[in-house]
Amino acid sequence: MQTIELKDVQGYIFRAYGNMKYSRFTLLKISNPEAAKKWINSICNQITNATIVAKDQLPETCLNIAFAPNGLSALGLSQENINTFPPPFKEGMTTIHRTSLLGDIDSSSPENWLWGGLKNAPVQLVLLVFGKDKATCLAYYNLLKAEFESHGLEEQRNLDGLTLKDNKEHFGFRDGIAQPIIKGSGRIGPEHNTVHPGEFVLGYKNNYKVYPDSPTIDKPQGNMNLLPPSPLKTGKKDLGKNGSYFIIRQMQQDVEGFWNFMNDRTRNEDGSINEAESAKLASKMVGRWPSGAPLSKFPDKDPGGTSDENDFLYAKDDPKGLKCPFGSHLRRMNPRDSFETDTPKKSLLLSNRHRLIRRARLYGDPIIGTPTNNKPKGDVGLYFNCFSADISRQFEFLQYTWSNYPKIKQLYSDPDPIIGVVENPKEEEEQQFTLQGDPINKTEKNLQRFITIKGGAYFFFPSITTIRYICSL
Amino acid sequence: MSQQNPLTLVTPIKPERLAELYKVLSNMKYRLEKGEHELFEKNNNIHYLRWLVIDDENSVFFNGTKKNPKLVFSSNFDGEVLAHIADLSSDMEHQLLDEIYSCCIDYPEPDNCNAKTRAAFLKKSMIKVSAFYKGSPGRSLKQIREEQDLRMYLRKKLDTENWSGLTAQQIHRQLKKDVRENAAFSFLNKKYSMPKINWFKFALLVIVLLALLPIIIIWILIVEFAYERKDVHYTKTRSDLDADKIKILEEYEDLTSGEDLSKEEQAIDGVLVKDKVINYQNQFSQLVEMKEGKVRLITFKAMMLFAKTLIPIKFVEGELMGIPTIHFARWVLFDDNKRVLFFSNFDGSWQQYLGDFIDQSGWGLTGIFSNTKVFPKTRFLLTGGAYDEEHFLAWSRDSELPTQIWYSAYPSLSIKNINNNTQIRVLFSKNLNAKKAKKLFELI
Repeated sequence: MQTIELKDVQGYIFRAYGNMKYSRFTLLKISNPEAAKKWINSICNQITNATIVAKDQLPETCLNIAFAPNGLSALGLSQENINTFPPPFKEGMTTIHRTSLLGDIDSSSPENWLWGGLKNAPVQLVLLVFGKDKATCLAYYNLLKAEFESHGLEEQRNLDGLTLKDNKEHFGFRDGIAQPIIKGSGRIGPEHNTVHPGEFVLGYKNNYKVYPDSPTIDKPQGNMNLLPPSPLKTGKKDLGKNGSYFIIRQMQQDVEGFWNFMNDRTRNEDGSINEAESAKLASKMVGRWPSGAPLSKFPDKDPGGTSDENDFLYAKDDPKGLKCPFGSHLRRMNPRDSFETDTPKKSLLLSNRHRLIRRARLYGDPIIGTPTNNKPKGDVGLYFNCFSADISRQFEFLQYTWSNYPKIKQLYSDPDPIIGVVENPKEEEEQQFTLQGDPINKTEKNLQRFITIKGGAYFFFPSITTIRYICSL
Repeated sequence: MSQQNPLTLVTPIKPERLAELYKVLSNMKYRLEKGEHELFEKNNNIHYLRWLVIDDENSVFFNGTKKNPKLVFSSNFDGEVLAHIADLSSDMEHQLLDEIYSCCIDYPEPDNCNAKTRAAFLKKSMIKVSAFYKGSPGRSLKQIREEQDLRMYLRKKLDTENWSGLTAQQIHRQLKKDVRENAAFSFLNKKYSMPKINWFKFALLVIVLLALLPIIIIWILIVEFAYERKDVHYTKTRSDLDADKIKILEEYEDLTSGEDLSKEEQAIDGVLVKDKVINYQNQFSQLVEMKEGKVRLITFKAMMLFAKTLIPIKFVEGELMGIPTIHFARWVLFDDNKRVLFFSNFDGSWQQYLGDFIDQSGWGLTGIFSNTKVFPKTRFLLTGGAYDEEHFLAWSRDSELPTQIWYSAYPSLSIKNINNNTQIRVLFSKNLNAKKAKKLFELI
């Protein structure tokens, strides 16, 4: 087993910071690189790392930092060295190609984004500040902020995130339950949910048993002695080791539209809302009940309470999708042992090559939607934050192949009902959700898009050593 | 049963006409993007086609090559190849053909240009495929469309009428009655059965291979020690790839980019409003050079012979070595056995497609492509190579070429859909017991 240098890895990859109820991700612009590097170097000892902390010793605040290509360049990393990063990171989320791959079209087009988009200032770096509550988070943030101006840093935008009761998101479903376990991270879980560290941390072997593509130093600069040698490129220094890619997508949620849709499709004959059926249809689309209980284990109704049930598979319990539909969000995003037509063993192997570590944080009115409580005050949504070592094979694959692409399993025109529906489909293009049934399948036609992408960017989430190296440029 | 066939043409371009040819192609791309594909629809028998230019010294893909530029054409069609060539050369498509091929060497002069001379020219440019895979063997374009109509009709019936309380068998009987009265489905009178794996021939093939095993092992050892270990291997990762190349390839994957259209052309035809849509199908064109020497050539040809024998026996149900997303694929050895073209039409994205290759059939690809220059290092043709994920992905991208024109007759049907539709058709036509009737409705 590969031992991960947890002390050098920034903590947010491995730790969900469950006790951090409030967070501020602040996008910073660098106006004075020299001063900025001095300051970043000075906060290195405050950066939260990935070592496991006992429950009674959890800190009250956490701090991490991530860099966009433009930020690396502003801090002095040469273009030659930036070029050693993989194409999605270098090109960014907003190229025509990625826009079409990620489904960021119509209202979700980067032309309309609040940040990171085609009409916004380029994103440079993001400081991730966490606190056990809002006051603690903001107090810590203000402490840090006091140094921004004198160190050539300008606050561009604050992405404030929170967690709601029982970890529910605004549509009303408990979120973030299924996270892959990383071998060597000190955490353990079922084997079928365990992946090699190289799926998330650069410098270690991945599920293909090879080292992931990792940025190197092509043209020497800075204090090269800090960096370890690259395992993939002989003679080069590895900039990526113990780092990862951090992806932020601001996803606005149309809670009212979501529940109106579910209510309308399930009304009683007298026109009144059938709450149970409405919630059931929504749960079929999500793949878990609002409590988090998986449909494949609880097909008929929500057992209630909160569920962290994650030790389940599909091949034996629900091979035909009669409980958890093939097209449900959950089953698509992690098909577990029921991938296309493959055997359970092969399915697990393939599914685990496309995992993400998700770190969603919510924003806006803290509403938890239900069939009858679904009118938030103002905009609400979530920052879909996630980690992957290979943006293309993990994040983009999930968004395109498993979400936007409507043809998984034997389906024809079923995009992911939660995150893959196109707002303005081509004429005659059907977008439906199939509920596998006995004796016949039923379909919900004319799906609607309930989310709008409002911003996003790919960030490099370097090791603490690499942060120090960047500061030495 | 209809026969799907491949045609590959390689024609040298008159260097002085290259710029003009690009213009003709980009114009056609523009028209295709606007949805004008009547031309390719006329004979109702073309599944896919593509044109691409190779060996252009000014392109980033062929930087300063000494070779003369050539135009490559590839199509997948129903019926005999000579009939397909006659179709292409006939009155129907000659304008397009003339426009394109008048830029090529030895195309008949205008005063001598007729169906016969055009066909003779095309025949002369034909190159035999080394191996060919089809994801829906035996199905004509017409059949694929008819079966999709049937499935849509059945789905609509199920969605719009009340079936509660009926068993699958009863529903089937009722639907059958409706369909029988509908002239659009008279094709169901023709019996069709799904192609099946020929286990007898497969067993024979295994026996032959077992008998040859000692020779194969010795051969692999020779290749490994005398060749593979001395060869130059591919060591780049995706981040090392030329950004300009990637950008161009990605643009061609976005069918609707229209970016290669010259300013002048846009002024004539009006600016192409980019219809931002998500694609569900794509193409892959790859060109690689054979390694020097007889041993590599023999290994490659043996692999091709193996593929050619195995495909019609084993890979007849819509999966090539477990890959469920390929409509058609072909390998073409050309240029005096010096180079190999690989073309495929597939569902989904590049990342998914290449990922499938690694996940499902690394050994097959390694056996074939380790005989071509600068491939990721393999060990005894068993490990490394295509299993070396990062290097293989980079190699695939690096040897890929832009495809100037690409046409699919059914861009919204996946190969899984097509085979599922045929299964529906076959089951639907039968008298079904309760179990089979249930199975039928699982598919719809």
